Amino acid sequence: MSKATKVKYSYNRHTVSFIVLFLLSLAMIFPFVWMILSSFKTAADVYQYPPRWIPSVWNWKNYSQVFSMIPFLRYYWNSILTTVAETALQIVISILAAYSLVHLKWPGQGFVAAVMRSSMFVPMVVTMIPMYLLCASLGLIDTYSGIILPQITTAFTTFLIMSYFASIPQDMIDAAKLDGCGPAGIMMRVVVPNTKGAIATATLFSFLGNWKSYTWPLIITTKTEYRTLPIGLKYLTQESSSEYQVMMAAAVMTILPVLIVFIFFEKQLVRSITLTGMKS
Amino acid sequence: MKKRIPAILLAALMILSLTSGCVSQYVDKTTEGTAMQTTKAPETTPAASDSTAAPVQSTEADIKGQSLTVWYAVSGTSGELFNELSKKFENEYGVKLELSYSGGSGDTATKVSAALLTHTQPDVALMYAGPLYTGGEGDFRIAELLKTTSDFDQDDVFEGMMDYCDYMNEGICAIPCGISTQVMYYNKDILKAAGVDMTNPPKTWSEFYDVLSKVMEKGNISGSDGFKAFDTNDEAWLFKSMLMQNGCEIIENNNGEITPIFNNAKAVEVADYWKSLVDAGYMSAAQHSNAEKAFLGGNLAFIAASSNRISRWTADATSFELGAIEMPYFTQPSLALGGNVLVILTEDESKLQAAWKYVSYLANAENNTTFALGTGYLPIHKSAMERQEVKDAIAANEMYTVAFNQLSYTWAYTHFQEMGTMDSQIKAALGKLEKGRGTSQELLDKAVKELQSEIDDK
Repeated sequence: MSKATKVKYSYNRHTVSFIVLFLLSLAMIFPFVWMILSSFKTAADVYQYPPRWIPSVWNWKNYSQVFSMIPFLRYYWNSILTTVAETALQIVISILAAYSLVHLKWPGQGFVAAVMRSSMFVPMVVTMIPMYLLCASLGLIDTYSGIILPQITTAFTTFLIMSYFASIPQDMIDAAKLDGCGPAGIMMRVVVPNTKGAIATATLFSFLGNWKSYTWPLIITTKTEYRTLPIGLKYLTQESSSEYQVMMAAAVMTILPVLIVFIFFEKQLVRSITLTGMKS
Repeated sequence: MKKRIPAILLAALMILSLTSGCVSQYVDKTTEGTAMQTTKAPETTPAASDSTAAPVQSTEADIKGQSLTVWYAVSGTSGELFNELSKKFENEYGVKLELSYSGGSGDTATKVSAALLTHTQPDVALMYAGPLYTGGEGDFRIAELLKTTSDFDQDDVFEGMMDYCDYMNEGICAIPCGISTQVMYYNKDILKAAGVDMTNPPKTWSEFYDVLSKVMEKGNISGSDGFKAFDTNDEAWLFKSMLMQNGCEIIENNNGEITPIFNNAKAVEVADYWKSLVDAGYMSAAQHSNAEKAFLGGNLAFIAASSNRISRWTADATSFELGAIEMPYFTQPSLALGGNVLVILTEDESKLQAAWKYVSYLANAENNTTFALGTGYLPIHKSAMERQEVKDAIAANEMYTVAFNQLSYTWAYTHFQEMGTMDSQIKAALGKLEKGRGTSQELLDKAVKELQSEIDDK
């Protein structure tokens, strides 16, 4: 194959890749664009068939309607508070648990790991009533603690971090031991710094899961001052049907923190995904 | 650093959106009065809103200064109006209400179940299947209150609606509030294009089938591939009505022993008709969750949906002219009731009178009619039909006539613990029937067998 042919082949290949990726990107961004445009539509525009892309009238009232129908600011603050607390505690606990299960040896370790793993297959609806009973007996109904504490341990996050901790070479751990590090020192100075990308990924997943948590905060709270955004969004819906344009306006405002978190963690997320395919 | 700039911009946007929203701030209706309701609740005095014929009435003095916790499972405009009426009660009787939205019907059921176990339940709840949580727990205090007080005129309530508040024929244990039936809505533009004269609407399902045929032939004015003539967004609800219309009682209650019978010959006839709609291409197979969107998008001619859509599908919600007809029937008109009831769950007997006063206040003819007209739910009182606001509503929106006319043939079967399972079994059976995964008889037999098995395992 001549050099010119090779260049042409490479150029064509890149063009095809670019077009495919561009189309996939469009498919990914489509729901976001649709959500933003719908947040400015009237009810008639939302349901129109064939679908109307651009609103016939730019209806800004949908946004003010969100604030008049629910205490949006209060819900926003509660969501931020509980999500940040839950995520931070989940990550700290998961790091400690993952390190203990991967790099320490203790009796019953395998059994504990198996129990944790099996807990991933138990749906939340099964544990909800016992959890509620427990929280009620501890006086946690209608408290931030009641929302946060039952959600600070997740087997998924622990196992996600465990898989990355296991990729730290034993030689590195042994070297730290020779340098006089104890278990806590090894964890903080060797394991965690070398898995920052993985921890960022776990943080992102954890944040997303907590941000959209609906059922537990609804069950454990009755007072407006403790309620979170997903409950507010649900309140915007009519029974069995929705004023989609108002919901979309609320959704636009609701996803902003998620976008901010994603942008901050994007670099680590991409790096951790890239490193996943590399051998130590 | 480059990545942080958009993040900071988004953060600024977030703060801006929050502050701009403050222009129209939320007003907590439970504590700060009513601010933005479009449907205004009329001003009344306590005496004017109560019946006066009965021997005993709880007085304002008995209940003043008490507080009640209330959970409610209605949202959107219904939730707002419920809040507004509650606030009115609070002002008139001096009872402090702590209102809390409890999510949809399923969420509320979970929440109330958990709360009953821990004795943290509200004093009053507006919820679906309420009798399961009162009568189901042996609590028939409402039946006693109906006998001993005159706060609520039971004789003025449509019979089927009180049946809806009964548990296993053992007694009334709830008060209807937010009740609905299905109504047959239609797209006038499509029917006009199809050349169907709706001044003489189809009365029976057989006549309706002929109309659907014409609609499919000439009614696809949008030219859509997915155009259908008919659908429903709640197939189990419609199917149960159709069963009763064809003489199938759905369940038998022999002194508390529930036996499902929706697999008899009458039920199979209904299921066969249902299948014929799919086979002819008039109705989508197992796509009922999209029915409402298809209808509002002008892609469906008829939809059987809750009467509460009357107030929601206003002129700005549809790009076509909307109409409604009474539900067709087989041998006799009949419609299953759905919706919410008010229940008293308080364990504190000192709050019982206040709770009962609040429940009967919300359900009295005046307030219930206000709630009905503001939300599209049905008035529960026969006397409501004589009220000027009802006459005005009918004059302004012909669809109310249809919904109110249907009230004379509504019914409810007794509440039993597995009624949710029954709906799931019916839905599953219809889904399989529509996809051709069995005959009507086979699928209904299977549904009945599985339901019976769950009842027996109780």
